[in-house]
Amino acid sequence: PSTVIIQVSPGTNLLFAQSGKIEYIPLEGNNMKKEEAKTMIHLPDRVVIAVAYDCVEKMVYWSDITQPSISRASVQGGQPTDIITKDLGSPEGIAIDHLSRNMYWTDSRMDHIEVSTLDGRNRRVLFDSDLINPRAIIADPKNGRLYWADWNRDNPKIEVSNMDGTDRTVLVKDDLELPNGLTFDSHSRQLCWADAGTRKVECIDPYTRLRRKVVDGVHYPFSIVFYGRNLYYTDWRKQAVVSVDRLAEREVDEFLPQKRSRTYGITTTFPQCPEAEVNYCSRN
Amino acid sequence: DATVGSSSDCKPCPCPSGATCALVPKTKEAVCTNCPAGTTGKRCELCDDGFFGDPLGKSGPVRACRECKCSSNIDPNAVGNCDRETGECLKCIYNTDGFFCDRCKEGFYGNALATNVADKCKPCSCSPYGTVDQQTTCMQVTGECTCLPHVTNRDCSACQPGFYNLQSGKGCERCNCNQIGSTN
Repeated sequence: PSTVIIQVSPGTNLLFAQSGKIEYIPLEGNNMKKEEAKTMIHLPDRVVIAVAYDCVEKMVYWSDITQPSISRASVQGGQPTDIITKDLGSPEGIAIDHLSRNMYWTDSRMDHIEVSTLDGRNRRVLFDSDLINPRAIIADPKNGRLYWADWNRDNPKIEVSNMDGTDRTVLVKDDLELPNGLTFDSHSRQLCWADAGTRKVECIDPYTRLRRKVVDGVHYPFSIVFYGRNLYYTDWRKQAVVSVDRLAEREVDEFLPQKRSRTYGITTTFPQCPEAEVNYCSRN
Repeated sequence: DATVGSSSDCKPCPCPSGATCALVPKTKEAVCTNCPAGTTGKRCELCDDGFFGDPLGKSGPVRACRECKCSSNIDPNAVGNCDRETGECLKCIYNTDGFFCDRCKEGFYGNALATNVADKCKPCSCSPYGTVDQQTTCMQVTGECTCLPHVTNRDCSACQPGFYNLQSGKGCERCNCNQIGSTN
């Protein structure tokens, strides 16, 4: 296959998908080192939507809607491998639970959420009801929770459940339109989303349900990830990666890739997993 | 590969003008890295997501990449709305179907091309009692279900005048009322 894997820089990086490639931008504190941005992998005949990172094996996972498939490759270089190629419709979101070694994904054609081990085996449909356009999905391994968003125009919502699918609850449904992107910072207990309809980035504490707006007037956000004091989102209209200072509540910088086309999923890669944590599922 | 030392080390990128390229280390194959707007692929031969065409004319005449043409029956927030080469619509909404989302999907009827969403495709909802083989499909445009004998209405939900017992599921039976004692 005509793929080029370039090792990403050893520190923390932003990783985002853009028609047929995954790009990375090294991060230094709260700044994007834009001049050092490079392509991590070329997948010229694919349309990559979701990207996710496993901090244990230092692997990047992505979904492609053309084959469709879910694949992975090491950030330290090497060839990519397809891990799921069957029974996929439109896989648009991937969440990695690095503790229990499972992966979750949304499929907006099958209208369901599936789970498997990181090698693609032991597949099981977790939810197949009340889903119309599920896209973003995020794992909180420490608390054993799963968050996802459905941008169904008639009933957009953000939901939460335990990682085994129990205790499914709608977390947000008011003042939502197209919640395309989701990210969760367990340290500050903030679940943040980017909405291409309301054109806002907002956050909620899923336990107290205290909700706040971070910025409004954004253009067309697709995916979002937090790092440090910033949130970073990809934008279809700007065809860029935009950084938002979530404390100052304003946009602070943006990266315009050389290639002008839509930017899709975004995630971070970092050298070490968060401090030792145990979750319920990793024990049995 | 500029390290070999011959005058033919550097070759022009096999890409449309303006695009840069990179070599795949293993196969020494060149891959275009910065295709013109709307195009992508190893040689910029494919259209970006949301577009279709054949920008290099690989399977026929050159067709520049154009936006998916799906009769306004796709959602711009969706990905993968059409086949990047043929343009076949892959994510029709409003109960439409077909290459261009230009007809109602099975079990629905109406005008897929109507401007008003409410006027597009409505469910056939054929009456299970009055319809042949309890079919759930109907005529594309009129919405007529295939009725059992002496059953009427678009959805086969009533008996013709002079007939009764729709619930039988075998069609309606003649009333057999006495002509002298009945009002009709």
